[in-house]
Amino acid sequence: MATLALPDRLSRLPWAAILAVLALGLFSMLVLYSAAGGAAAPWMTNQGIRFAVLFVMMLVLSQFDVTFWLRWAYPFYGVCLVMLIGVELMGQLRGGSQRWLNLGFMNLQPSELMKIAVVLALARYYHFLPRVRTQTMASLILPAVLIAFPAALVMLQPDLGTALTIILGGVTIVFLAGARLWMFVAAGIGAVVGIPLAVKFLLQEYQQRRVLIFLDPEADPLGAGYHITQSKIAIGSGGISGKGFLSGTQSHLQYLPEQHTDFIFATMAEEWGLFGGFFVLACYGIILSWGTWTALTAKAVFSRLAAMGLTVTLFFYIFINLAMIMGFAPVVGIPLPLMSYGGSAMLTALLLMGILISIYHHKNRQRLQTVPGSI
Amino acid sequence: MSPAALRTLRIQLAGKRQAHLRRARQRMVVGMALFGCLTLLTGARLADLALREPVGVANAHNLWERIGPRAPIVDRNGSDLARSFEAYYLAVKPQQLIGDPAEIAEQIARIIGERDPADIQKKLSHRGKWAYVERRVMPRDAQALKALGEPGLEIGREWERVYPNGTLAAHTIGHANADGEGMAGLERQLDERLRDPDRADEPVQLSLDTRVQHVLVQELAAQMDRHSAIGGSGIVMDVRTGELIAMTSQPVFDPNAPKFGGGGEMDPRFNRATYGVYELGSTFKALTMAMAMESGVVTSMAQGYDASAPIRIGRHRIRDFHAKNRWLSVPEIFMYSSNIGTAKMALDIGPERQQSYLSQLGMLDRPTLELAERGKPLQPPRWGEASTMTISYGHGLSVTPLHLAAAYAAIVNGGVYHEPTLMKLGLDEQPEGRRVFSEATSARVNALLRLVVKNGTGRNAEAEGYRVGGKTGTAEKPKNGGYARRSLVTTFAAAFPMDDPQYVVVAMLDEPKGIKETYGYATAGWTAAPVVSRVIGRIAPLLDVAPSDTKDVDLSEMLAQVRGAKETG
Repeated sequence: MATLALPDRLSRLPWAAILAVLALGLFSMLVLYSAAGGAAAPWMTNQGIRFAVLFVMMLVLSQFDVTFWLRWAYPFYGVCLVMLIGVELMGQLRGGSQRWLNLGFMNLQPSELMKIAVVLALARYYHFLPRVRTQTMASLILPAVLIAFPAALVMLQPDLGTALTIILGGVTIVFLAGARLWMFVAAGIGAVVGIPLAVKFLLQEYQQRRVLIFLDPEADPLGAGYHITQSKIAIGSGGISGKGFLSGTQSHLQYLPEQHTDFIFATMAEEWGLFGGFFVLACYGIILSWGTWTALTAKAVFSRLAAMGLTVTLFFYIFINLAMIMGFAPVVGIPLPLMSYGGSAMLTALLLMGILISIYHHKNRQRLQTVPGSI
Repeated sequence: MSPAALRTLRIQLAGKRQAHLRRARQRMVVGMALFGCLTLLTGARLADLALREPVGVANAHNLWERIGPRAPIVDRNGSDLARSFEAYYLAVKPQQLIGDPAEIAEQIARIIGERDPADIQKKLSHRGKWAYVERRVMPRDAQALKALGEPGLEIGREWERVYPNGTLAAHTIGHANADGEGMAGLERQLDERLRDPDRADEPVQLSLDTRVQHVLVQELAAQMDRHSAIGGSGIVMDVRTGELIAMTSQPVFDPNAPKFGGGGEMDPRFNRATYGVYELGSTFKALTMAMAMESGVVTSMAQGYDASAPIRIGRHRIRDFHAKNRWLSVPEIFMYSSNIGTAKMALDIGPERQQSYLSQLGMLDRPTLELAERGKPLQPPRWGEASTMTISYGHGLSVTPLHLAAAYAAIVNGGVYHEPTLMKLGLDEQPEGRRVFSEATSARVNALLRLVVKNGTGRNAEAEGYRVGGKTGTAEKPKNGGYARRSLVTTFAAAFPMDDPQYVVVAMLDEPKGIKETYGYATAGWTAAPVVSRVIGRIAPLLDVAPSDTKDVDLSEMLAQVRGAKETG
């Protein structure tokens, strides 16, 4: 396989998904250009360079053998965990909350990479778990630790949105791997009971407020509901065909907060209308259904679980952001992958795509241990 | 383990594997279904937000989106009379204020100036969801206010109506309030048209000419000032179409900041030209003359009436101001403005014919005009011979100056009545009108009107070269059932050029006082006629009426019947 010529490699790429990624990336640049009032600075140029670099990275990663990911799943998880603890300690030392490491050309948030690491680690765990044991309680201990430890660290930062994504991505894999159904039912009930308590005791005050405000944005005492209201106005005022490129008023008059990051979809919808909105949704739809299809048709357990876990991670990412912008989820501060301005989110999304494509290339292989005993 | 048991175990294990695989697939499908549902939900919500009436906008109190601009109003040459533009406002959502209201109020007061911080603070801390703090904010200040970064403050934009000419033609144009609703004048009468979002870019073009309007206002206001009049009104009308070229009511108000006059003073927004009804005095004699000629009561200029003694009606007597105490010919009656002669002529016309003519001239109904403020004429309760006599010289029937202008237009233009209009008429929209008098009657009354200016009471109305003709009207104001000697309404109704009349000019002064230059007189010939003279002298060039020393009306038929008159006047 590694000996294939370049044209063959190209023809084997999942072009529909890659074109969708490319379309979103380029569309994002148009929106950022408009959000800056019709200027390449300060956002579009940076975003463009980052996108180009990371897009190439995705293509390179997609050529890796799937066994590479299987073999390095635990070490990757370990590195991410160390980095997470690292930023936490650094934050403690500096007396503030810092969530990122400065890599020079971008700030890296370890919590972003952790989303992928958790999925890969769990997929690897279930790949080697004898089938007969998947329904035992004992088999759940390690996954619980694998999920809970990083989630707790991220929650401490505090970054509610990312913590939720890590948990949901992990739990999805446990569910798909075949853990007993009653556990999920019980967990669901537990969540309904436990979340109000968690909101009260675990969340930071500003996070509490965000959750509560979501329930009634108009009655917002301190202006955080402002985000939701303005975002809804922006989308609503776009109508069907939008106000036209460079003509959004909510975003240009800066009523819209975070117009280039978390709320970029609202900025886009104001100028491009329902058509623009459906275009973006369609692009994500192509990517997600391709990911799901890969998971469904993959033969090996690791391939199947990792593909589904990664797709679900990407899905939650997109869904929570859109739900927040449209006013039916709390403002949790999750960027829109591939579109929002910012390096970490884009790195996560394209890294995730690279791994997914790599799995896609090898989805017909039953056995993944090319070198027995090396795991 | 026996081979049989081992085989059974293998089969069991294989079965378990199968079941496991099946379960995994099932769960994957469940996950996919969840995906699909959530994606559909997102798409539906997006469509909902985009297609629904922008509720969020209304919640944000964005009046700008709700009101929409009003169509501009322009004059006949296309220059702006009223226009909408987007202004900034500052509002507060008190529940969303983060900072200290006192501190924010201080900052706001510093930016917008001229406001008491305590007053602003009261607004900021009121119990409510939303309120204006300042309805109009300068654009530069709006930026500064936005820079305060206070989420409870809302700096929005809404449409504001602006009248660039200020008080000019304010009564005609009227005004719209801050919520974009027409409150008075054309703004009120044409509210629906002006608000129509589909025609917001399409201006409403009036018949008014800003230049003529300016002259009329200036001359009338100057004369009011000179004679300490409490009010006035002026009209310039195109006699061929009924288009109003200029119309004013004094005193004026600023439609950009309309306020009640308050107190005992009359509200300056009261439109004296179209809403106030007055007894306009001897100006009515031109109407009586036309009726007499048209109905065959007067067939020759040589006809005469005995004006040697006043007429007694009950307790009242009809007297002449410029009494000659002799028989007067028709031209003399008009020239000397004889009440006695005119009243006797009216008796020959009779109440029925008088009413019929007045009705045809539109003087018994509210005027038809594109304004909300149209005054209903006051008619005598019983219209007998006494009323007929007094109305013949302008007492007993109160009409608006607009009524008078329209009636004069019908007399001088060859006898056709046109409904007055404020809309500019295109070449293909020339109104047919309704014929009231014959061309011959019109020509003879025109000669009489010219005679008044050349030889009679209206000499002060002459404008060099423009062949003015007209009639004075001095009426005492009714007061407490009688008439007030010192409270006059003086009117001069004129047309020019009389050899081919094109425009009617009416000037009216409310309670002018006599001054030294007029030898103490406050009558129309001294107060209203000079306004007409100055106005015509200035507007004729604007209206393309050429001055002439050679063209004039032939007055020989009239002068032949005036005792002691010389041809030159």
